Amino acid sequence: MRMKIKLALEKAGYEIAGEAENGLDGVSQFKLLRPDLVTLDITMPVMSGIEALREIKKFDRDAKVLMVSAMGQEEIVREAVLSGANNFIVKPFSDERLIQTVEKLLSI
Amino acid sequence: MTFKSLLTTKSYCIDRNSGFSVVHIGRCLGMSDFFSGEPLLDMYLFETEQLLEQLEQLMLDNEKTEAFGKETINEVFRIMHTIKGSSAMMAFNAVSSLAHSMEDLFSAMRSGGLSGLDGSYVADLVFKCIDFIKQEINKAKTGEYAEGDPSALILEINEYLNALQSGFVNSLSMGVRAESGINAENGTSTDGLSMLKHAYRAVLHFEDGCEMESIRAYAVVHHLKDVATDIWHMPANLTDNRTSEEIRKNGFLVAFRSDLDYAAIQEILMQTLFLRDLSLTELDGPMFEQLIQGKVHLNESAESLSNDVRKDENAAKAEQHLTSGRKNILSVDVSKLDKLMDLVGEMVIAEAMVVQNPDLAGMELDNFQKAAQRLDKITREIQDMVMSVRMVSLAPVFQKMKRIVRDMCKKLGKEARLVIAGEDTEVDKNIIEHISDPLIHMVRNAIDHGIEPPRERVALGKDRCGTVTLEARSAGSDVLIIVRDDGRGLDKARILQKAREKGMLYKPESEMSDREIFNLILQPGFSTNDSITEYSGRGVGMDVVAGNIEAIGGSVILESMRGSGTSITLKIPLTLAIVDGMNLRVGRSLFTLPTISIRESFRPKPEDIFTDPEGNEMIMVRGEIYPILRLHRYFKIPAGISDFAEGIIIVAEHDEKRICLFADELLGQQQIVVKTLPKYIRDFRKVKGLAGCTLLGDGNISLILDVGGLIND
Repeated sequence: MRMKIKLALEKAGYEIAGEAENGLDGVSQFKLLRPDLVTLDITMPVMSGIEALREIKKFDRDAKVLMVSAMGQEEIVREAVLSGANNFIVKPFSDERLIQTVEKLLSI
Repeated sequence: MTFKSLLTTKSYCIDRNSGFSVVHIGRCLGMSDFFSGEPLLDMYLFETEQLLEQLEQLMLDNEKTEAFGKETINEVFRIMHTIKGSSAMMAFNAVSSLAHSMEDLFSAMRSGGLSGLDGSYVADLVFKCIDFIKQEINKAKTGEYAEGDPSALILEINEYLNALQSGFVNSLSMGVRAESGINAENGTSTDGLSMLKHAYRAVLHFEDGCEMESIRAYAVVHHLKDVATDIWHMPANLTDNRTSEEIRKNGFLVAFRSDLDYAAIQEILMQTLFLRDLSLTELDGPMFEQLIQGKVHLNESAESLSNDVRKDENAAKAEQHLTSGRKNILSVDVSKLDKLMDLVGEMVIAEAMVVQNPDLAGMELDNFQKAAQRLDKITREIQDMVMSVRMVSLAPVFQKMKRIVRDMCKKLGKEARLVIAGEDTEVDKNIIEHISDPLIHMVRNAIDHGIEPPRERVALGKDRCGTVTLEARSAGSDVLIIVRDDGRGLDKARILQKAREKGMLYKPESEMSDREIFNLILQPGFSTNDSITEYSGRGVGMDVVAGNIEAIGGSVILESMRGSGTSITLKIPLTLAIVDGMNLRVGRSLFTLPTISIRESFRPKPEDIFTDPEGNEMIMVRGEIYPILRLHRYFKIPAGISDFAEGIIIVAEHDEKRICLFADELLGQQQIVVKTLPKYIRDFRKVKGLAGCTLLGDGNISLILDVGGLIND
C-alpha cells in the first residue's frame, strides 16, 4: 500500500519526504521532516495509526493528516476524526481519487 | 469465616475523616455488634457517606460528557430519594429538605421535556449539595449540632427548576454563570442560543463510492462544532454505520447557528472531501426553530452524537458501582484489627520459640518436625490473611483527588486532567491515614505551582490542558506513589536563592547535585511561592509531607525538569509490623537487619581494605568504594571480632546509598515482629542506628538496625 501511494503521488509530481514502517518511526520522521501532508495507515505495528495521529497532532496542531482506512473500520475512523484527522480515504481507492484528495487537503 | 470467602468477597471502604474508622470485610454479620453508642446513627452516617461518595463519583464521570444520561438521572434521583428519607427519619431536617429539592429537580429531568438544560450548571448544583450534606454529616459525627442552613441552596435549585419549566432558562443560567465567574466560552453549550446571528441549513451529497458516509457526515459535524452551536442534523444517529446508505440516497441535512457569515460557512463546508454537491441556505430565526423542532429534540441529537460511546461506558460504570454497593460487608473496629495484628505477631514469635526451642537441640523428632512445618505454614497464612484484611485499596484516596483537581481548575482558571494509574494497589490502613493529606497537598501543589495557565501553555507549545498523573505501584516490599505533572518544573535558581536567604545552605552551591537542591524544598520552613494562594498557602509546606512520609518509614524523591514538569515519588514500606530479617551476632549482642536492605555479604580480603588519612576504613567492591562501619565499635561492644578476616561484611543499602557493616557472624534469616524500643530507653537517650527490637525464637532480644540512620550518621 505504501508503495502504491508513493508511486501514485510521485507520478503526480509530489516529493515523498519520507517513509516509515510503523507509527513510532512515522512520528519521529514527521518531527524531523515536517512534511506538508502525512498519509497514515490505521493498522500498523508498534504504534497504531490513531496513536501516531495523536502524537503528530500533539506536536503540531496544524499538521495535515490523511488517514488510510480499510472497509469496516468505521469505529476507528470515527475516533481518528475526533482526534484531529483532517480526512480519511477508504481502501481500495484509485490513483485519481488519492491525488484529488491530496490536492484538496493541501489547498485548504 | 473461611479464608476463601474472605478473599473473594473482600471490599474495603475507609473513611478517615470520621471518629469511627472502619474496615469492611466479607460477609455480613450485622453491623450493630461492632459499633458502640448509637447503632442507628452510625448506620445512617455510614450509609449516607457511601451514597455521597457514589454520587460524587457519578457526577465526576458524568461531567466529562456534559450531558445527563437516563441512567445517571435515575441514579442521582434514587440517591437523593434515599438520603431524603433516611435524613428525615434521623431528624436531620436541613439535609432532608435539601435532598428533597434536588430530588424534585431530577424528577423533572427524568420526565424530560425541559429545554435548555445546562449540564455543567446542574453538576455544580449537585456538587454544592454534596458539600453541604458532607458538612452536616461531619458535624453529626463530631457530636455537633447539625443544623446548617441550606435555604439559599434550596432557593437556587428551585429557581432553576422553575426557570427550566417555564422556559426562561437562558437568561437565568447566563446570569448565574456571570455571577459565579465561570467563563462560558464552550461553544456547544445552549446558553448562547440567541446570541449567534445566523442560522443555516445545508444539504451535502458525497461522491459515489467514497465509503463511510456516516463518518464523513460525523466529521462535518465535528468540524462545525468549532464555529457553530445548536447543530441539528438528519439522519440524527451518525454512530450507526447503516446510516451511510441513507446519506448516500437522500444526502446529509444539517442545520446550525453560527456567528460567521454565509461565505465563511460555505468555505468551511466546501473543505469537506469527496463532496459532490452542497446547497447552503441562510434561515431566519423562526424558520430555524421550526426546522429543528417537531423532528428531533435539539439536545438529544447534538449530544448523542459525541457522547453515545462515552455514555455507554458511563452506564456500564454506574452499573458496576451499583453492584459493588450491594456487596456483603462487615464493619470492624480498627482497634480490634490492631489487636489481632499484635496477637499474630506474638504467635509468630511463640511459634519460633517452640520450633527452635533449645531443649530440642540434637534430638531426632520426625513427627515433631512434620507438625512444626504444618504449624509454620498455617502461621504464615494467618499472618498474610490478617495483613490483607488491613490492606486497603488506594482507590478512594485517589478518587478524592478528582474533585480537588476539578475545583482547583475552576477556581484558578487552569485546565488540567487527572490521570490515575494503579489505584487498585493496596496498602496498610495505617499508611492510608498518613498519605492522604500529603497527597492532597502534592496534587494541589502540582496544579497551583506546576501547571501553567492555558494561555501560557499554548504559548510554550504545550497541550492547552495540563496533565497531573497519580500513579501507584508496588516495587518489592515498597509501594511507590507518584504524583507527576507536566507543568513548569522546579526552578533551581529560585530554590537556591530562597535557601540562601533563609540560611539553609550547608555546602557550597556549586557542589550541590540537582537532587540535593530539590531536597531543600523538603526542609522545614521552606516555601518558594512568594504569593500565598487559597490552596497552597496554608503554612504547610513540603516539609510536612516529608515529615508525614518519614513517620511511616518512607522517603520522598523529587525529580524535575525545568519547563517539562515535576515528579514526586513517595516510597513507602508495604507493611510495618512483620518483616523478614537477617540475624547477626556481634560479641554477645544480637542484631537484626531487614532482609530487603541487604545487598550481599562476604568475608573481605585484606588487600581490598583501605584507610584514609583520617582513619576511616573503606572497602573496594567490584571497583566501587564503600565506607565500613564496625558494629562492635559503633555500639561499643567489648568482645567483638576486630580482625576483618574472621568476621563478615554485609553490604546494606538505603535510598540508593550503601554502607558496609562489619559483624562477627550471620545467624540466619527469620520473620521478625518489629517492636518499638521501650519508652524508658527512648527517653533516656536518643538511640541512633536502631529502628526497634524483636524477640527471637530462643527468647533472646535482638536489636533491629536502622540502615538509613547508620548511613546518615
